[in-house]
Amino acid sequence: MMGIVLFKTALAVYLACAVVYGASLWVRRVLTARFATWLMLAALVIHTLSFTSRWITAGVSPVIGIHDALSFFAWVMAAVYLALQLKTKTRVLGAFISPVICLIMVVASVELGGVVGAPAALQGSLVTLHVMLSVTGEALFAVASCAGLMYLIQDNMIKQKKAGSLIRLFPSLRDLDRINHLCLSWGFPLLTLGILAGSLWARIVWGSHWQWDSKQVWTLLAWISYGFLLHQRLVIGWQGRRAALWSLVIFSLLVVLLIFGKVLLPSIHQFV
Amino acid sequence: MQLVLIGMNHKSAPLDIRERLQLSCGEGAHQPLPELMHLAEIREALYLSTCNRVEVLARVADGEGAIEGLKAFIYRQGNLSVAELDRCLYIYRDLEAVRHLFRVTSSLDSMIMGEPQILGQMKEAYRMAVDNRTTGILLNRLSHHAFRAAKRVRTETGIAGNAVSVSYAAVELAKKIFGDLKGKTILLIGAGEMSELAARHLIRQGVGSIHIANRTYARAEEMAAEFQGVPVAFDKFPELLPEVDIVIASTGAPGYIMNAEMVRSAFGRRRRRPLFLIDIAVPRDIDPAAGDIENVYLYNIDHLQDVVDANREVRRAEAMKAEEIIAEEVAVFEKWYNALDVVPTIVSLRGKMEGIVKGELERSSPWMKNLSEEERNRIEILVGSIVNKILHDPMTGLKEESGDKDALPFVAVIRRLFNL
Repeated sequence: MMGIVLFKTALAVYLACAVVYGASLWVRRVLTARFATWLMLAALVIHTLSFTSRWITAGVSPVIGIHDALSFFAWVMAAVYLALQLKTKTRVLGAFISPVICLIMVVASVELGGVVGAPAALQGSLVTLHVMLSVTGEALFAVASCAGLMYLIQDNMIKQKKAGSLIRLFPSLRDLDRINHLCLSWGFPLLTLGILAGSLWARIVWGSHWQWDSKQVWTLLAWISYGFLLHQRLVIGWQGRRAALWSLVIFSLLVVLLIFGKVLLPSIHQFV
Repeated sequence: MQLVLIGMNHKSAPLDIRERLQLSCGEGAHQPLPELMHLAEIREALYLSTCNRVEVLARVADGEGAIEGLKAFIYRQGNLSVAELDRCLYIYRDLEAVRHLFRVTSSLDSMIMGEPQILGQMKEAYRMAVDNRTTGILLNRLSHHAFRAAKRVRTETGIAGNAVSVSYAAVELAKKIFGDLKGKTILLIGAGEMSELAARHLIRQGVGSIHIANRTYARAEEMAAEFQGVPVAFDKFPELLPEVDIVIASTGAPGYIMNAEMVRSAFGRRRRRPLFLIDIAVPRDIDPAAGDIENVYLYNIDHLQDVVDANREVRRAEAMKAEEIIAEEVAVFEKWYNALDVVPTIVSLRGKMEGIVKGELERSSPWMKNLSEEERNRIEILVGSIVNKILHDPMTGLKEESGDKDALPFVAVIRRLFNL
């Protein structure tokens, strides 16, 4: 019960945070964005408490099940963003990240209070590890694509010579590119480890490492696309606009595919 | 109020008159504060002198008399004729003076609105006044209030936020692209006055190395020596394109000296690192097509001028907000000042005492219930008359001081003693 109240409070604070971030773009004041950042921190703390309470009451790790996995996804995004705040002052990036967090939290709240974990096949510490690693990896990609979107907007404004007062709020292109780089180079290995953990578990419960399940194919696709992007970044030297554009395109495509897959294709890999 | 501000600024007085009055713009000039304090009517004084203004702010015992004294003082300082000076001087009294001081400190009255130096100069002027013990209750409070108003204007409006010169606009854009400019490599093509100015701005931001290409190699060498840069033969500059981050072109060439192909061919070796091209030459030096290449940003002189114009517009709009903040702060100060008057002080002193009496009587009411009606009345009268006796001397003093024009310090002490 406590967990649900905390979750709802966190969602409300995230919403407030997104609204204040939006307002900061509107009034073009760093002060407003700074306030929003503190709201985000408050939301993250409440969110963390909600996880803790769920862990204690349910007695199992709180990341399995569609509600908890999504909630964890949002939690990682907020945590990564706030950690980035410490290194680079990228405040208004929050205006792009907080709505995504809110959206994910709203979707997560649909299954609020559902049973933790479902099929017996999807329970065990290796599954927890698998979910945590993969979700963290994917959340990092989400942050990368938010930074990418912001990069594209700003790049366009500078190229079009529309360097107005909005641009003054934005972090520099270099900072945005660095965030993109950082998130990719951390997200990819995490996702790789997540897939490995999942595959080990699949061997135990389903008898083989790989089943060509729709969800697995989707993950493979994500892994290949981000592997490609990271390769282009590190080896070919993609940076700036192209890297930003590709991380945004890949992420959007994956989201669309995920939704379609969920509606159209059956999967043994479902949460509930 | 007994506040007078007399002075001149870049709008009211031509340069040569301001020059003659610039008593302390240069280092080591003599300090006029002690002399000011010798004027008969002056109680407190603050003296501000910058390259664009000379102002004296004073708390005076008698307004008109003091103004004459201050004017005479300025005539003497500047060695100016009365007619000459009267055209240039402005005089503000009381709240108008407060408002003017707040506007000056917030850089609303500056030649370049929003420039940051004036606050520092104002603080320095205040420090000088404190060192010379020429400030008191009013000017101390007023100065700190002015600093606070300036800070509010700075943080709550965008008045100081946008570049209003072409070379500074270029630096700001470079920062948008590269984050900070430390360690960045600059190429100057053409060693003219404009590129020199831009280079100075960039050096102040801590750029790494500067390469200078010029048709006359000797001039390139000369400028390189000045900026600790590297001179480059003019026709060799395309070879540097893979390395540099910012290019400033300002040659007198009749056509493009850098085309898109040059930039594109450098991009393999650049690994798509961003490149900022600044073309301040007229006619232009860089083919506009170069600006279409990925991660290449090309600004010519008109683009930069547009940025500056837009920023000026923003500053003007922000100045409106700043004026509102100033008006609010003046009102706050006025409220504080009015409370320093004799009558409100008497009222609040009496009010405080009555409050204490009432409170204490209430606290004692449980045991006073046992007394008779008459006894209780007697106690109330007794307490009341003790308070009145105690208050008698301070009250009389206050009323006497109100006859004098300089009651302010006395009132301030009373307010402080009784925590009103």
